[in-house]
Amino acid sequence: MHTAPISRRQFLRGTSVAIALPMLESVAPFACAAVAGGPVRRMVCCCTTLGIHAENLFPAKAGRDYELTPYLEPLQELRGDFTLFSGVSHPEVDGGHSSEASFLTAAPHPGASSFRNTISLDQFALEKLPPATRFGSLALNIGQGGTGLSVSRSGVKLPTDGRPSEVFQKLFVNGSPREVARQTERLRDGRSIMDTVADDAKRLQQRVTARDREKLDDYFTTVREVEQRLQLAEDWVRKPKPAVDVPPPTDVSNAYDFVARTRLMFDLAHLALQTDSTRFITLMIQGHNSVPPVQGVTIDWHNLSHHGKDPEKLAQLRVLELEQMKLLAGFLAKLKSSRESSGDLLANTMVLYGSNLGNASSHDTRNMPMLLAGGGFKHGQHLAFDQHSNTPLGQLYVSMLQRLGIETDRFASGKGTIRGLELA
Amino acid sequence: MRISIVASLAMTVLTGVGFAAGETPLPTKAFLQKYCVECHGAKAQEGDVRLDNLAADFVAKTSSETWGQVFSKLEKREMPPKAKTQPKEGERQVVLDWLGRELRAAVAARHRAEGRVTLRRINRFEYQNTIHDLLGIEANVMELLPEDGSAHGFDKVSSALTLSPVQVEKYLEAADLALDAALGVGARPKFIEERFPATELLANWENKTYRPLESGAVALFNSGYSPTELRKFRAPAPGRYRVRVSASGFQTDGQPATFRIYGGSFGVGGKTKLFGHFEVSADKATVVELVERLDNRGDTLKVMPYGTIPWQNTAATYTGPGLAVQWLEVEGPLDAKEWPPATRKQLLGDVDLERGTVADADRVLKRFAPLAFRRPVSDADLAPYLRLVRERLDKSVPFGDALRVGLKAILVSPRFLLLDEQPGKLDGYALASRLSYFLWSTMPDEKLLAAAAKGDLSKPEVLRAQVDWMLDHPNARAFTEDFTGQWLSLRNIEFTTPDARLYPEFDEWLQVSMLRETRAFFDELLQGDLSVLNFVDSDFAMLNERLAKHYGIPGVTGLHIRRVPLQPEWHRGGVLTHASVLKVTANGTTTSPVIRGAWLADRILGKPVPPPPANVEAVEPDIRGTKNIRDQLAKHRNIATCAACHVQMDPLGFALESYDVIGGWRDRYRISPERGQRADTFTLVVNQRDMRVALGPQVDSSDTLADGRRFRDLIELKRLVLADKEQVTRGLAEKLLIYATGQGLEVTDDPAISDIVRNVKAKDYGFRTLVHEIVQSSTFQNK
Repeated sequence: MHTAPISRRQFLRGTSVAIALPMLESVAPFACAAVAGGPVRRMVCCCTTLGIHAENLFPAKAGRDYELTPYLEPLQELRGDFTLFSGVSHPEVDGGHSSEASFLTAAPHPGASSFRNTISLDQFALEKLPPATRFGSLALNIGQGGTGLSVSRSGVKLPTDGRPSEVFQKLFVNGSPREVARQTERLRDGRSIMDTVADDAKRLQQRVTARDREKLDDYFTTVREVEQRLQLAEDWVRKPKPAVDVPPPTDVSNAYDFVARTRLMFDLAHLALQTDSTRFITLMIQGHNSVPPVQGVTIDWHNLSHHGKDPEKLAQLRVLELEQMKLLAGFLAKLKSSRESSGDLLANTMVLYGSNLGNASSHDTRNMPMLLAGGGFKHGQHLAFDQHSNTPLGQLYVSMLQRLGIETDRFASGKGTIRGLELA
Repeated sequence: MRISIVASLAMTVLTGVGFAAGETPLPTKAFLQKYCVECHGAKAQEGDVRLDNLAADFVAKTSSETWGQVFSKLEKREMPPKAKTQPKEGERQVVLDWLGRELRAAVAARHRAEGRVTLRRINRFEYQNTIHDLLGIEANVMELLPEDGSAHGFDKVSSALTLSPVQVEKYLEAADLALDAALGVGARPKFIEERFPATELLANWENKTYRPLESGAVALFNSGYSPTELRKFRAPAPGRYRVRVSASGFQTDGQPATFRIYGGSFGVGGKTKLFGHFEVSADKATVVELVERLDNRGDTLKVMPYGTIPWQNTAATYTGPGLAVQWLEVEGPLDAKEWPPATRKQLLGDVDLERGTVADADRVLKRFAPLAFRRPVSDADLAPYLRLVRERLDKSVPFGDALRVGLKAILVSPRFLLLDEQPGKLDGYALASRLSYFLWSTMPDEKLLAAAAKGDLSKPEVLRAQVDWMLDHPNARAFTEDFTGQWLSLRNIEFTTPDARLYPEFDEWLQVSMLRETRAFFDELLQGDLSVLNFVDSDFAMLNERLAKHYGIPGVTGLHIRRVPLQPEWHRGGVLTHASVLKVTANGTTTSPVIRGAWLADRILGKPVPPPPANVEAVEPDIRGTKNIRDQLAKHRNIATCAACHVQMDPLGFALESYDVIGGWRDRYRISPERGQRADTFTLVVNQRDMRVALGPQVDSSDTLADGRRFRDLIELKRLVLADKEQVTRGLAEKLLIYATGQGLEVTDDPAISDIVRNVKAKDYGFRTLVHEIVQSSTFQNK
């Protein structure tokens, strides 16, 4: 008879645990009223992690009269609403798949053993423009890994939401009075706890050396910030959530059905923006090591991306990536058809879509496929930069930050705005 | 692996360390004047660097960092720029000598004053183990916490273990989850103890894919798609369950049958965990028993055959092998057998959670805090935590709620989350913690804390006995798994799924076995104090039947791993030939000598190659079999700027070309031919079916090392590597020292490492000896 050893460590591996206090994670650090005048500006940033096959995406011609490519076909109707960028990448961001960590941060050498990430574009914007919304930002994820694109100032990846039903719950479903009371109490207790441990950190600081003191300083300021965030969360707990005329979504049971999963997340992102529940959303679309249930695809996604020029794999990859482009087109069209007081939602929402890999087959991080839609730019062109000496993608991020109304001419490795992209 | 002087300095904040500014010696002054100040002087300050008035002050942060830059640029010959006048070798050396001395002395002074290790928080793996040991629970809190960063190859290093508000919020959540589990709040979960007939495994469809047997058992055949989860059972609560399954082979021709058991929801979003592979005899029903944790309410179990046909639907007449299942028994959650759970009593003693008093709360916290903080706690230090509880009790908050606030505060306290060490020699408690987080990845247990309290832990013989005891304890699995997970990149084992058309023989059981091989090998060296050189080459391997089949080694049967002596013609020996290592260094479709070479240089030789410069073009893999990787890489070596590094790593990688992406031996590459392209093929039998694979070019694993030594294959390369046994030992010693102390190494650590290597060499390079020497070193025992 075989008996598996009862291993304590084996229990460590396991599934995620859903638990109370879902609202804490992305409360804006300091709420203040939206800047008076002008439309509310928003930003959605999406990364699909296994590349977008360049030959099917990039037109040969630059400028406004570029020819349609297979992947741009689904976006044909929206031609005037987006700009395609080629010849852009983050300088010194290498390391193959690990570069997904730097997609919104541009932090160099993500694959290095001493890599330290830096603040992501959305969190940077949030710091500068703390909005009066219930959620400072939403970090969403499609895929099993659960990692996302948002990174805090200290380089920590923010936890993500991967289940549409839970996102819907936290955005739109009010708790019972008892639940609200219970949550309020927990938040208050949390604040007292933060106060106590912050004081304790101060006491410890008296006897430590200089470098250790810096670490304790970090601890102290972090805990103080949490205290404020808990206070804000408490304020929001009391306010009712916006009502939406949509049934709560049902989660997609097939983990590899990225089409259905992405569509649900895009729908939720749209609802979140429409109700002004948040203004900054990131979405990581994680490719996986399994065969997605898409007609004509029989090989797992990650493997297809390492096509090694195998024609069969390239054909299947095309089917799969075309589905992704259709999903993007659907999302953009939905934003465009949503009116708000100052134009349509797309006009006020920048949607960045691309991949950290320029050539997934060789893990090449240069020549990233990047597309920016909406947000009030003069779109409709293919901005082609040098394939051999790429333009820093950070320049596009600076343009985006400025569009949000943030006065900065730098973001990470990006100095100045990107050439050729003008405000509408 | 050592950090250059410059990096050391960059990490240094030299505040208040007594080290007065001196004079810059004349030759250096003259050198700067002659070669540097034109661009870095009064008139121009390229890169914001000005050298004409730079004080010889190695204490102040800005000047010491600038000197560090000067050293680095000169050492790497990056300055002066190629277009400018170049200094003579002698001139350059004089400056480097002086600067090197000064910078080293500055680091040493900092170490004396502040210690080399910076305060660090425990990582999420350590957090989870600690919470488990502290509260006696097994709830999964790790997945709640954000991923940790790593530095110098390990997620134990202070500079990578930052804190953020998100993290602290998650610690609050995790503490709640853990305290809920320990205290057993809410209603007692339903306890299940039931036997289910095997027919409950079957989905409610027409009976074409399985065959009901007269005995009431069911014969299962399909090893691919098989919806055979136990629908009648849904876990009433997360927790540990005892599972017993009665099964036997069916139509297996006298051969034993292998099958798998999984746990999970098999539905929306939930993860599926493999609980294990099991073997039962051909005709006699055998009961297998396991105790495993189901992580979510509603989870169930699934039984699947292994190695049988992936799919058939003619079960009534199918004559191939299958698995007969008689019944399943489930008992659990075992944690709820007693209610409230025993862990409540462990935490509260006799205190009543409903009706406790202020004095009761004091008692609970006084007992709990020293365990959580891993050292005695003074009344003054405990007072703020007690106050939290008292304030609430004064306001008539129920005792349980008030106490929880105090306990939660302890679990997010800096004294719990950070490893407290004072400059100089570590006191007993700090040493106990360092030892425990090194070998067990968790808090020190009672025995270790008792030794710390007694004050004799730092005595060499006491420490030696303690280390032996800890290495023999089941908790040492954390060391094996966590260290190899990072040192040998085994954490990435699931990162790619091999191309099923090129590698049809790959399966989950092979992948599981790969990990077991490397861990068992590591343990074998550790337990037997065998030479660390075995990591490079060994005359034995740790194998089970699946691995032996994969490696083409006869005579190994069964699921369990055992030691097997090797023959040269099997092409195995050392971790470089482990399928696990060969898989994590490939991408599932192709292998790259560059990636494998860089990996080998860092992990085995201890001589990492710098990352590629920005904006270099990667080699585009081509599996049509028409392009030769050697030709593609040749251009790296023909371009001077690339060659400097590529001549060091590419040859190492070429030696591994004889091993494919799943670690199988190959003479020729497997390819995916284009339509119409002619290729040789061979046939593999996988899961009762013939699979045809196309073959491309011959593999050539020969090359020449940067120093001119030639080799034909991996066997010869291993011999060349083993020519410098001390370097191999040093490489591993450095990794272990970083892992054990949570800090990267600096130039000043060199003498200590040399001592360690010398002592280990004297004892035939024993691996256990190396661990002892690390612990006995002053580097380990000082902050």
